[in-house]
Amino acid sequence: MPNSTASLPMADPSELPGPERIVDRLVGFGHALRDHGLPVGSDDVLTFCAAVAELSPGDPNDVYWSGRTTLVHRRDHLPVYDEVFRTYFLHVPPPNADSPQEERPVPQGSTGTLDVPDSEPGDEPGDEQPLILGLQASSVDIQREKRFATCSPEELAHLRRIMARIRLEPPTRRTRRRAPDPGGPVIDIRRMARDAMRLSDSNPALHRMDRKLRARPLVLILDVSGSMADHSRNLLQFAYSMRRAAQKVEVFCFGTRLTRITPALDRRSPDDAMRLAAARVLDWDGGTRIGASLDHFVRTWGRRGLSRGATIVICSDGLDRGSPALLADSMERLQRLSHRIIWMNPLIGNDVGASPNTLGMLAAGPFIDELASGHDLASLEHFATHLADIG
Amino acid sequence: MSDTNPTPSPSSVPELQERLRAEGYLAGRGLATAAFIGLRLGRPILLEGEVGVGKTELAKCLAEIHGRELIRLQCYEGIDTQQALYEWDYARQMLHVRALSARELNDSETTASLYGADFLLERPLLQAIRSGGNAVLLIDEIDRADDEFEAFLLELLSDFQITIPEIGTVAAAERPIVVLTSNRTRELHDALKRRCLYHWIGFPSIAEELDIVRLRVPDVADTLVEQVVNAVHQLRDMDLAKPPGIAETLDWVDALGVVGSDNLNIETAADTLGSVIKDRDDLELVHAELDRVVADG
Repeated sequence: MPNSTASLPMADPSELPGPERIVDRLVGFGHALRDHGLPVGSDDVLTFCAAVAELSPGDPNDVYWSGRTTLVHRRDHLPVYDEVFRTYFLHVPPPNADSPQEERPVPQGSTGTLDVPDSEPGDEPGDEQPLILGLQASSVDIQREKRFATCSPEELAHLRRIMARIRLEPPTRRTRRRAPDPGGPVIDIRRMARDAMRLSDSNPALHRMDRKLRARPLVLILDVSGSMADHSRNLLQFAYSMRRAAQKVEVFCFGTRLTRITPALDRRSPDDAMRLAAARVLDWDGGTRIGASLDHFVRTWGRRGLSRGATIVICSDGLDRGSPALLADSMERLQRLSHRIIWMNPLIGNDVGASPNTLGMLAAGPFIDELASGHDLASLEHFATHLADIG
Repeated sequence: MSDTNPTPSPSSVPELQERLRAEGYLAGRGLATAAFIGLRLGRPILLEGEVGVGKTELAKCLAEIHGRELIRLQCYEGIDTQQALYEWDYARQMLHVRALSARELNDSETTASLYGADFLLERPLLQAIRSGGNAVLLIDEIDRADDEFEAFLLELLSDFQITIPEIGTVAAAERPIVVLTSNRTRELHDALKRRCLYHWIGFPSIAEELDIVRLRVPDVADTLVEQVVNAVHQLRDMDLAKPPGIAETLDWVDALGVVGSDNLNIETAADTLGSVIKDRDDLELVHAELDRVVADG
């Protein structure tokens, strides 16, 4: 990026005559970034101005780098920053004029209705799935947006119960931190020393402590491909309740590609969360490439440590159209990077103990610690109850 | 390292780059600007980036060029204030209490002596606050510590002062230079990021990496350096689970030097591959395509 800016035409220095003008320009830049969705606070702009004051405001290189280090707080925002910088200071028109990336018009007119069977008997009017085709269509995946209508009272009751269960008994792990515990194995010499000083007692009582328990991270990886269409609504609702109830929950969806939907699920209202999450996933009801998606997860998220010590819950029927070897490889890696892997397969249904013989399940089988069903909200609720035991 | 003699900060970005280079650290314009602003404004610098691109090294070099003491706090899961800030030497305190009570000393002065400097064990953060302008504080791999610790750090980084109930408030006379590093194993809190200047260090270009290797290991033949750097760039394009960082490039050059080879070919590369690739699956993948990696290099 430094090279690209250096080679761009310099801003005209005569444009910046007095200090007030410069400050105006800099503050304006902060506003421009904010308009493009970057979280730029007033204190950030202050720091930015102070930083530029230490350098030379006439040099676009200095302005670029000082802005980049003061106004951007995460790597994902760098491309947006670069683009805004180019338009604002270097007057290079953006690739598609004056429409920020988030608001790129979605092609209209390709909306149709697909009769995706809904798992809930009550068929609400908004429940049909309008499709938006051709956003990034390729021969491999047809990308669609799925719209979940409002939750029915029944569903809401299920969601509340799942949340309550998880709050009561979250899966836990021992941490390295210690807390007082009368039966613990370690002597708390700190408290004993304090007692000795305070009470001037020559034989202070023994205080003990033990390692604390904390919520174990939970990673949900949901299959939203065509063969799972019946269950995707339930799974998403389940993911929402887990995210709301437990402390460390990450949620990913995949069909032919992997999408992280955790931020979308943070909405308070389940309907909003569902709608946002659904909009993020672009490959609803398409093909399945479990191996490639898990591989992507392992390489980007697993490698960074997201799954370390976590319980991984993969919800899929194992009907994979990708290579079984890739699936086995990525499962093996995932197993090494996580605490336990639970595979929820709706094909099992109520027949606990049955193991579906799809090719994908055979490939992934050796690396699964626990098989579960999860074919409807009731069984998901049951699963949530026992998560503490199996996790 | 204790009798340090601080030298003034550089007065421009090129000067900072020049002085870092003299210490064997090549900083790009962006990194140097971030560091320079951090020094000038007295703000902590948060460095994120791939493993082995020189995040920790920058703090060490900043300490060197300023003639300051480097105080390093390695974060890990479960780290708490006692390991990071200060701790009382409880065992000694208890012995002391015994001795005092045997002599039946009970006045306030002897009680106060229990909380004197003798019994205080300084940990890195307190050390850094005490040293103030004589220190560079490196908080390494902050992403490994847990949220509670991050919240605590937030408070410390804004005021650079802490209160020890028995002694009083200790404030830094002058702010130490603070460098935080993160490998992004988890997302840091925005509040903490806002206190800091942020810089992402990516992998260098071939030309930059050649410069770095020549600077760090000057007595290696140019052809070998070129071969290794080209091969490493091939490896980075190969979609490995753990792409090699600059540290691995330097290790590889060193390893080739140790086995006394001045040419990178399939045999020498296979023998020394363990210094660059540290994952079994990656090793298998690279071994299968070794001829391509080396030939193109």
